[in-house]
Amino acid sequence: MKNTCTLLLAMAVVAGGGLICRAAAPQSNKQPANDNAAVGNAPAQHDVAPTQDDVRVQSGLLALYDFQDSTGNVVRDRSGVGEPLDLQIVAPAKVRRTPGALEVRAGGLIRSRKPAAKIINAVRRSGAITIETWLRPANTKTKGPGRIVTLSANGSERNVTLGQERNQYDVRLRTTSTSTNGIPSVSSPKKSLAAKRAHVVYTRDRTGRARIYIDGKQVVEKTVAGATLNWSRAYHLGLGNELSQDRPWLGTFYLVAVYGRDLRSQEVARNFQAGPKLGVRPASVAKAVSPAHQFFETQVAPLLAKHCLECHSTTAKKGELDLSRKESALAGGESGPAIVPGKAEESLLFQSVDSDEMPLDRPALSGQEKALLRRWLDDGADWSLPVIDAAAFKRRRVAKGNWLRRLTVSEYIATVRSAVGVDIAKEALAILPPDIRADGFSNTAYNLTVDLEHIEAYADLAQRIVDKIDVSAFAAKYTSSKKITDKNMRPLIANMGKWILRGPLEEHEVATFRGVSTTVAAAGGNFEEAVRFVLEAMLQSPRFIYRIENQRGDGLPWPVGDYELASRLSYILWGGPPDEQLIKAADAGRLYEQKDVEKQVRRMLQDPRAVERSMQFMAEWLDLNRLQHLAPNAARFPSWDKRLAEDMRTETLEFFKDVAWKQKRPLADLLNAQLTYATPRLAKHYGLKPQAAGLARYDLHDTPSRGGLLTQGSVLTVGGDEASMVARGLFILKDILRGSVADPPPGLDTTPVPTSPGLTQRGIAAERIANGSCGGCHIKFEPLAFGLEKFDGIGAFHERDEHGNKLRDDGKMVFPGGGAAVGYQTSAELMNLLAASEQVQKSLTWKVTQFSLGRPLIEADAPILEKIYRQAQEDGGTYASLMTAIVMSDLVQKTSTEKEP
Amino acid sequence: MKNIRLDRRTALKGMGAIAIGLPLLEEMQVAAAEQATAPPVRAFNVFFGLGIPSPLQAEGFSDVLEPLKPLAKKLLIMRNVDQVRCDAPGINAHYDGASGAFTAEPPDGEARSGGPSIDQVVRKTHYPQGLPPGMAPTIVAGTFFRRSRVGRYVHSYNQDGSVAAAMQESPRRLFQRVFGTYQGKGDDAAVRRRELRRSVLDTVVEQYKFYTGANSPLGAASRARIADHLDRVREYEQRAYAMQGQDSQAPSAPARSELAHGGRADPGGEGIDITLEELTSEWRLLADLYALAIQLDRVRFGSLTFLAAGERIRLTGEYQYEGKTRFLFDDAAQHNATGSKGCSHEWWHQFAMKKKNEALRAHGHMKMREIAYFLQRLDDADSLEPNGKTILENSMITISTESGDGRHANVRRELSGVFHAISGANGRFKTGQILDVGAQGLDVYNTMLAAMGVAQQLGPAETPRKSVEAILA
Repeated sequence: MKNTCTLLLAMAVVAGGGLICRAAAPQSNKQPANDNAAVGNAPAQHDVAPTQDDVRVQSGLLALYDFQDSTGNVVRDRSGVGEPLDLQIVAPAKVRRTPGALEVRAGGLIRSRKPAAKIINAVRRSGAITIETWLRPANTKTKGPGRIVTLSANGSERNVTLGQERNQYDVRLRTTSTSTNGIPSVSSPKKSLAAKRAHVVYTRDRTGRARIYIDGKQVVEKTVAGATLNWSRAYHLGLGNELSQDRPWLGTFYLVAVYGRDLRSQEVARNFQAGPKLGVRPASVAKAVSPAHQFFETQVAPLLAKHCLECHSTTAKKGELDLSRKESALAGGESGPAIVPGKAEESLLFQSVDSDEMPLDRPALSGQEKALLRRWLDDGADWSLPVIDAAAFKRRRVAKGNWLRRLTVSEYIATVRSAVGVDIAKEALAILPPDIRADGFSNTAYNLTVDLEHIEAYADLAQRIVDKIDVSAFAAKYTSSKKITDKNMRPLIANMGKWILRGPLEEHEVATFRGVSTTVAAAGGNFEEAVRFVLEAMLQSPRFIYRIENQRGDGLPWPVGDYELASRLSYILWGGPPDEQLIKAADAGRLYEQKDVEKQVRRMLQDPRAVERSMQFMAEWLDLNRLQHLAPNAARFPSWDKRLAEDMRTETLEFFKDVAWKQKRPLADLLNAQLTYATPRLAKHYGLKPQAAGLARYDLHDTPSRGGLLTQGSVLTVGGDEASMVARGLFILKDILRGSVADPPPGLDTTPVPTSPGLTQRGIAAERIANGSCGGCHIKFEPLAFGLEKFDGIGAFHERDEHGNKLRDDGKMVFPGGGAAVGYQTSAELMNLLAASEQVQKSLTWKVTQFSLGRPLIEADAPILEKIYRQAQEDGGTYASLMTAIVMSDLVQKTSTEKEP
Repeated sequence: MKNIRLDRRTALKGMGAIAIGLPLLEEMQVAAAEQATAPPVRAFNVFFGLGIPSPLQAEGFSDVLEPLKPLAKKLLIMRNVDQVRCDAPGINAHYDGASGAFTAEPPDGEARSGGPSIDQVVRKTHYPQGLPPGMAPTIVAGTFFRRSRVGRYVHSYNQDGSVAAAMQESPRRLFQRVFGTYQGKGDDAAVRRRELRRSVLDTVVEQYKFYTGANSPLGAASRARIADHLDRVREYEQRAYAMQGQDSQAPSAPARSELAHGGRADPGGEGIDITLEELTSEWRLLADLYALAIQLDRVRFGSLTFLAAGERIRLTGEYQYEGKTRFLFDDAAQHNATGSKGCSHEWWHQFAMKKKNEALRAHGHMKMREIAYFLQRLDDADSLEPNGKTILENSMITISTESGDGRHANVRRELSGVFHAISGANGRFKTGQILDVGAQGLDVYNTMLAAMGVAQQLGPAETPRKSVEAILA
């Protein structure tokens, strides 16, 4: 996997993190000691090589300028975060550059070429900011204030500005409580600014607490109330002057950094100790991704997966050729080496596809695909993946697009319950269209479409929900007044909306909802009625119906915002919205640090909602809802009682709860745990002696035929009345082992072949596998079901079938992805093999992750999934450890962005 | 102007004789029967925001009031109308003044008037059993962008001080109110709730539009999904709120307004940017529709608002009058300020007799031009009635505003000279004069009511009454 990770690891470095992207990522390539001569009053220890503790704070960093270039008109952003926000020196003659310093003379201005989107977006979301500088003011007379670092448009419109007002530092920050000019400002004490080198940090947290530190020491603290949701998206970053060039600052910059969060005092001290030179590796020197690797992973591997692996995988290995692995691919097959690096024309692989001999009985490669293969072979056949995961590549096209997620029906119900305390389950289940399964789950975002029925239902449900609310009491949580004035209604809407819509409202949203209340007032309505209709509007808002997240940026993964993360955590772990504790943690900026997030996750996993959510996963993964419609042939199964279907569903869910939550066993134990839960009816069906009047736990240690999910009726019934080896084998291949197989050729008669005297299901399967046309694929999955032959179509156990044929449960299987065939003598041995299989454990990781993310996983996710898997296994392989690893991974902590148009 | 003038002839021609909507047919038959004898009793209140400082009223038609001059013979312009009694200390000067317009009462809380408005008192007296079938009891409409406190923009109030009808704040809504089926005789609860839910739906549409727009935080796939959702919401809106009873040949409904409405129209008192073209196009379409509703005898009572009390807009655009450029509006630039401080409202705060007050004068002039536009629509050929007079002449149309000054420094100065004008009400009031009435608004209104044959008097019973004979014909 090492090579596979290269691209992703490089991206992670660029994005400033590892598995836990939101925490500081220790850097391995430490820079030389700081030049104490350049920073006169920096501590002496800067002369020695920095230790780990000296390394600058990286978490939350957005832009970083170290002024290392001594020539040119560009000041490089070396944060390595997102798209570099490089600065342009507007009048080169008015600055002087030396390595590590930039002196601004009269009228100089250094500014970004475009709006500082990554800073603005991050601060709008976080409500917190830090501006850090190493600088030397030229004098103590500059006033205006002179703009040292500014994010603004002109003299009266800004988001934030660090300035010099004679012998004080002055910071103006625009919030919903300050003016568009950021006034009132926060100033350092008089005479705190001197014409000498200094480390100056302004940091402000989400609650409004703003501090200025000089040389590591706090010199002022003040509250700057309000939110930063009103920050303009249009402003550029400027150094040394106002963007309108009328507030010059004179002095020298050594370092400027901007963070999208507040720095704690220890962190400020850490950066002060680190000095003005970088303790982190600049993005510009991050290891570049090999173009050859990239070409293989993005172009060639998908092509091989699409056209070749159906027959030339480790399992099928037709002609003894396995093209899924580097070693076996280079070794070749019966006809000799398939790949001759550097020589496409001599490669059997290319010859066979170029002549359309291959793929056999399948559409030929397009001219473009052939050219691509030729290019790869001619360029040396660089192979950077240890194994080509056909299943991952198969999802590539489907998963394209970053879909926002509509709440599923169950999430909608849970969200209403949490937001307004109303149980709307009955009504919602009755009138909301059910979510349709796609890629194995009904919460797959791309398939969470909307139709008129949804809109009607949302409108109808909004009314019904509000009908059930004591509106006055609900509103009283947010205001003690019943006036319909701006003064009362706007804060009410802002606070109520923040709770119901899972994060702070922007000004335009407050205004929009306020419009509802004014309309009600204009129609003679009172306060209660106004709140009522505002609630109805909120319950139909896109921010309620969907999980809205920022998806725009620079095309690179961005850390998700605090409230976005709060929602991700809650919907993944609970299937519902964040609770008050999570929202408070987001309010306080306490979802940045790994330990803080882990603390929340631990708490959340103790909550009954986490158990409920895990049961939803099980029901989805195994498609347990299918059981509601199970109708076996009554003539063939006269003992079938349709209540058995519900018993089977209950069995599987209670079994899971026992293994995963009560015993906290590794998830793989689901395959061979020797226990189950059954009603007397189901126990009898299984041949067990009923042990209680109702549902009871059964120890299966003395029942060798049963034990584990695959021996439960809920799963065995996937084979239909005929107990189809095909259906059962495909289920195990795809849902337990995460393998893939091509669809059958068009027009193929797939009518199940009935058993007969002398011909069992296994015999029928063996005939298919022996068939040249079918065997290539069927050998991949039918042997997986051999161990289940003794279970009939409704899960009852027999030694002989209805014709008296003796049944078998021995066999051999090959795990997808490779290895030799492994034999087993009994069904129980098969279950033990599966439970011990890394493939099964990884497959469970993928399945749970897919359900958590609500999208199919693709090959680009593979390296992160590998980390999740390893972390979860290290922590015991339990459901809780897996969920923790998932939510702490980049798949949850980061969001992919699309470049701003 | 962008709008195509909608008039009675166009509407009737479009409707045709056969396919005419039943409610309209009924109402017109009723109207025709009534008009054969005498013009119906009608009363409308026309409000404009921010007022005209008393000293400027004194200049007659030479400046701010100039646009009313063509209608001078059909109006009685009243100066020195004292609304000081409407001051409710500690609330809001704009709100107090606006609440006093047409009621002579201070507000009763933030969403109620201290008493009924004159149009509703007349309605109650003359139509105690309700209006004829198919006719809206009251229509309240307006173009405005300041929403906090209802009294700023609603100017028809029931006896108990509650608003007389739901506000129609876009031409499309007013169109539907005029041309759609009107169910029942009164605003019953179900109809009202339905209208409010429609406003909720408007809000929902606004939000979905935001997430499909340029400032959406969403990526392409998600925006497409939200756009799908938006399409479905609109489909739902069409189905749930489709106009019933409208003839297919009736004039097309106005396009959806591009101007901000609802909450977007008032970002917390910070003001909005708007061009003169946008403002007047929207208003004139609304004024046309309201006039048409009167001409078709769809409505006899109600109010129309052109900009709310304490309105905050940052207006831009070249203001022409009679083919000549009179002023270049650019409030924010001229104030050199953004947000609320860059709004036209500030011209009123800065009013001083020693100054030229050019911007204030231009704004005031423009407002009079637009008020005159509406009045002229009731005075054109389509408004001629069997008695040979126009609707403007036959109806009691009262024009008023909130303030006589604007500097908020002195209640007496601010509320003692509030501009008023009335039409003749079929010979009941004097017209063709500018009159210094020097009387309380309460007495003026009560005098008007008495002239309209209304026994009820506004204000507390113990208040001494003083008939303002000077306004009577």
